[in-house]
Amino acid sequence: MDTFINSIVPMMTPVLFAALGGLFTHLSGLLNIGLEGLMLLSAFFSIYVAHLTHNLFFAVLAGIGISMLLAVFAGFLSLNLRANIFVVGLGVNLFANGFTVMLSSLLFSTKGTVFFQNLPKLSYIEIPLVHRIPYLGPILSGYGALDYLAIGAAVLCAIILYKTPYGYHLRAVGRDEKAAQNAGISVYWHRLYALALSGLFAGLGGCALALPLQTFVGGMTNGRGWIALVAVILGGGKPSGVFIASLIFGAASALSNWLQASAPMSPKLMMTLPFLITLLFMIVKKNNTEEGV
Amino acid sequence: MVTLRDLWRTAFIVGAALGFGLCVILLASERPGDAIYAFFLGPFSNAYFFGNLLASAIPLILTGAAACVSFSASVFNLGLEGQVYLGSFLGVFLTCRFGELPPLVVYPLVFAIVFCCSGTLAALSGYLKRARNVNVLISTLLISYITIYVVDALIETVFIDPTAGLAATPYIHDKFLFARLLPPSDLHSGLFLALALTIILRIIMKKSALGFEITLTGKSPVFARYAGVSVSKVLTLSLFISGGFAGIAGITDIYGIHGRMFRGFSSGYGWNGIAVALIAKNHPLWVIPAALFFAYLENGANVGALLADITPEMARTIQATIFFTVTADALFSLIRKNKGGDAWTPSSTVSSL
Repeated sequence: MDTFINSIVPMMTPVLFAALGGLFTHLSGLLNIGLEGLMLLSAFFSIYVAHLTHNLFFAVLAGIGISMLLAVFAGFLSLNLRANIFVVGLGVNLFANGFTVMLSSLLFSTKGTVFFQNLPKLSYIEIPLVHRIPYLGPILSGYGALDYLAIGAAVLCAIILYKTPYGYHLRAVGRDEKAAQNAGISVYWHRLYALALSGLFAGLGGCALALPLQTFVGGMTNGRGWIALVAVILGGGKPSGVFIASLIFGAASALSNWLQASAPMSPKLMMTLPFLITLLFMIVKKNNTEEGV
Repeated sequence: MVTLRDLWRTAFIVGAALGFGLCVILLASERPGDAIYAFFLGPFSNAYFFGNLLASAIPLILTGAAACVSFSASVFNLGLEGQVYLGSFLGVFLTCRFGELPPLVVYPLVFAIVFCCSGTLAALSGYLKRARNVNVLISTLLISYITIYVVDALIETVFIDPTAGLAATPYIHDKFLFARLLPPSDLHSGLFLALALTIILRIIMKKSALGFEITLTGKSPVFARYAGVSVSKVLTLSLFISGGFAGIAGITDIYGIHGRMFRGFSSGYGWNGIAVALIAKNHPLWVIPAALFFAYLENGANVGALLADITPEMARTIQATIFFTVTADALFSLIRKNKGGDAWTPSSTVSSL
């Protein structure tokens, strides 16, 4: 049971990062469905650079860098060349899927699991006083640096979006493009920034997925980018809502893993749980007509 | 109507994809000469490779048509992958159950049931949209993931062939397999089925009241509502037809090539169908050349992997360039030095979703 509760946050982290990225593009009025592909690319490059340099900082930097690069390229296609962002996003996913497996077979001559035993490990942080609180301590403390970073990032995003001029401008662009333009806010630049930020966060999500496992497998994101997109919509476009939605997904994934280990049932059937629970929340949630689809 | 602009656009997309393919080969291959020859000309070098090229276009024609229907109504059916998966599994299961009956009785029965079940799976999202206003793009996708896992679970436990050595169902009886047109290649008579179904779809979309309502709803839901069209009903119906075509794509591939269902059977038929529909600009007949082009890229990479040192996954990176360029209308305007055109702007996409 303890392992179940303690695995919720690590399962949540990659989705929360990616969802924060999706939040920026969503608020700017774009639907970035390429999150899945951005995460996957970052997962591969972070593992590859960690293997080359044995430095986690460079690994994370590489993951973020490649992810931002592709996100900005997608922005160039959709904003400058008027391509449909939705279709470009599908392209990002397909590209990442093929490119990572191709590189994996070129660089490591395997299309399967790439596992490095001697990679530097992410340190686990025990918060000094908190971890000694009975019962609550082990739940609140002892996670990896990236897990804390994700939660911190969620708080930071809330502040940026609601307390800074940039946040107001960004939300104005998404709310009413023409009004924002007339008020002197550049729709183009805000959307490009939003895409770059979604690349940054999706990149962090990819790192948070691959680095703790020291592993890369083709398609290892396994729908997390899509779930992140759902979390943005489920969370009503608010950082707090996005956090709660990601937490629900983390709990569902942890439950699924825990049941796979302990219940005599088909593991594949258990793997439907995160998607099923997310879908049920989508159905139960009050969907206003404005948000569409 | 095919305009000169459309031809330029298609030529550019094809050129960009092939050009990018050339770059990837030059960077990744140690024997670029062999690889380039195998990739570009390999699929046409003999009857075997050419037959395989046509065979792999068959499911893409059908999933492309499936994507066309839902795109025409401006709904994004992202669950094609799951609908293909369900259709194939159900088809194999029923064919094994009806093993005693002659194929001519079983085919119509199986095709009808598969069409209805895969269609219903897709139409479920239409219902959720109407009843609870759930985002169709997301519900089709989530339902697709769930379907794939459930079908995998069934293949691994209940309906497994223990002698297979991988998670696969038993083979269907040989009498049900479609005739091979160009042995030893995979080309099978399902090609005619795929062609016939796309032509039927073209007629439905162009000549029937339903087709008109779908197109009208896709162009402007508000106008359609004022014209007395039940928009939510049309959306659900277009999803139903879309899912049905996806199911048929799966079972046709089984009857034609594999003869059984196995884990990971549909390797991107659904996603590629979406790209095919986009190249074809939602025109059911243009789906056929678009699917052939997609199949050509796939088979070029496969032949390249066989005869030279490139990996089949290279095809996906090249196909991705198609997604990048296919809707970039301003690109074609730049080339053609004229502005305008009915571009899909990002904001109109979000609001139409």
